[in-house]
Amino acid sequence: MPSSLKIKIVAMASILAPLVCVVLSLCLGRYPVPVNRVVSIVVDWMLYPLDFSGDIPHTIVLNIRLPRAIVGALVGGALAVSGTAFQGLFKNPLVSSGILGVSSGAGFGAALAILLFHTVSATYPLALCFGILAVFMSYAIGTIYRKTPTIMLVLGGVIVSSVFSALVSLVKYVADPYEELPAIVFWLMGSLASARMTDVAIAGPPIILGVAGIWCVRFRINVLSMGDKEARTMAGHMGLTRGMVIVCATLATAGAVSVSGVIGWIGLIIPHIGRMLVGNDNRVLIPVSFSIGATFLILIDIISRMLTGAEIPIGILTSICGAPFFVYLLKKTKGRGW
Amino acid sequence: MVGMDVIDVRDITFRYNDKPVFRKIHFSIGKGEVFCLLGPNGCGKTTLLDCILGILKPEQGRIMVQGEDLSSCSSRHIPRSMAYVPQNHESTFPYTVTDMVLMGRAAHIPFFSTPGAEDHQIAQMALEQVGMANMAERPFTMLSGGERQLVIIARALAQRTPVIVMDEPTAHLDFRHEFIVLETIMNLVRSQNLAVIMATHFPNHAFYFESRDIPTRVALLHKGHFLSVGGPREVLTPDSIRTVYDIDTNIITFDNNGTSQRHVIPVKGETT
Repeated sequence: MPSSLKIKIVAMASILAPLVCVVLSLCLGRYPVPVNRVVSIVVDWMLYPLDFSGDIPHTIVLNIRLPRAIVGALVGGALAVSGTAFQGLFKNPLVSSGILGVSSGAGFGAALAILLFHTVSATYPLALCFGILAVFMSYAIGTIYRKTPTIMLVLGGVIVSSVFSALVSLVKYVADPYEELPAIVFWLMGSLASARMTDVAIAGPPIILGVAGIWCVRFRINVLSMGDKEARTMAGHMGLTRGMVIVCATLATAGAVSVSGVIGWIGLIIPHIGRMLVGNDNRVLIPVSFSIGATFLILIDIISRMLTGAEIPIGILTSICGAPFFVYLLKKTKGRGW
Repeated sequence: MVGMDVIDVRDITFRYNDKPVFRKIHFSIGKGEVFCLLGPNGCGKTTLLDCILGILKPEQGRIMVQGEDLSSCSSRHIPRSMAYVPQNHESTFPYTVTDMVLMGRAAHIPFFSTPGAEDHQIAQMALEQVGMANMAERPFTMLSGGERQLVIIARALAQRTPVIVMDEPTAHLDFRHEFIVLETIMNLVRSQNLAVIMATHFPNHAFYFESRDIPTRVALLHKGHFLSVGGPREVLTPDSIRTVYDIDTNIITFDNNGTSQRHVIPVKGETT
């Protein structure tokens, strides 16, 4: 057992890092707002939420940057936690949050919404529904051959993902190339630029519910990662546990992808960064993954709006900025027993 | 027989689709006893163990574990009655040794909870019992095969079950660790009054336990049924070994510090 002091330090850092980044993201941008002003604006808003002065810094901080930061934290955390949980469940370090097809399904839902309703605002419900539907289909395929449930599930996810990718291509092919096609392409690259408080309200519940569910069974994910047979000889209700992890990770990922578009990389690599920093025990790794994912996505969002005049889609930056950091950590920690 | 039967297998029959594996197998195991399951590769040893562990359902017959029928007991009854030591655990993630052993506590803590101070204490004790306490913080994946097997046995001990089911626990181990694992099992059966069911390829393991005065029984699984069940010296004869393994053997007796221990030595195979 790591010393209790170390646990306290990790816990403090996990809570502080995303908070510091939220404050940073409220200050930085094309219109810089000093830290003391940001603090006073946020404190005013918390004390008197209805007393809204409406000047420019107020509007920027509260209506534009705060929702972006909150959505960024939720999305980053949700993808990282789902990825960690799926890696444990499938006892496979190459699995990511989208393994059961939720990202491809949500991508198709969003593309279909843009095609049918000609507006990006209709994407959320369809993306959420198709993301969940995709996982349901993967699960149905996985139950056909019951002897190796986890391998068949992964295979089912790969098949369903490829079907939905093909369907996305089909939608792109028939979409209007001047209006709809760019909207679909940009949505698929992922962005937090359009995030408003309503997005916090609609993406928050599935994400929080899913992450909380995974947090509750985080010790059992350790047991699941021992493989079906050993897990069943160590604890009861393993089928229920597996189902709960799948449902919760799907809810969290679907909620995240539906509001931010497809953001790759986080659900695969953030869990590994967590593993290198605090080890593989999911009791610690799950909360730390959330913290790192949240911190990382907020930082990436700041970079995406600061780097050039036009915003760069987040899906591009996550890999470009994250890869060097990953290599640095790999060198520093020597991978910790991998 | 020592104490009451903790496992009672009553006439179980199992088949994979249309391929019969064994039929009408019947035996029971009591506390403080080692039950060695011997038989050639592919004879159904692992399948039989999987039935006892509740992983596979026998087509006919019943398995009683601590007086409860496996087919109708609660899903926590099995992990609280039997711990399982696999042949060779391949861990994907480099958990620390302590984390591995703590997983043995899963059946004893509430569903949404994590191990507490008492569970950590039990894990620590289990590691001490197998002599691995000094490795507690090492990554499991960095240990040698023999050390891993001792950690997995510690995990089974942390489960605090009256029965431990082992599937070829010494397969792939070096000469020294094979012996250390046997000694560990022997000490645990003696001190904790455990019942151990062990599938093995080595008849000499049964003689080892017998020579240490551990109540030992051997079952020879041959063509879907037990050729014979009983004490090692009654069951493991050159005749029965020839029937099951198709080789000629000599059984020698040597003096091991005042106790006599038997040993099977193969002398002639079919091809020589």
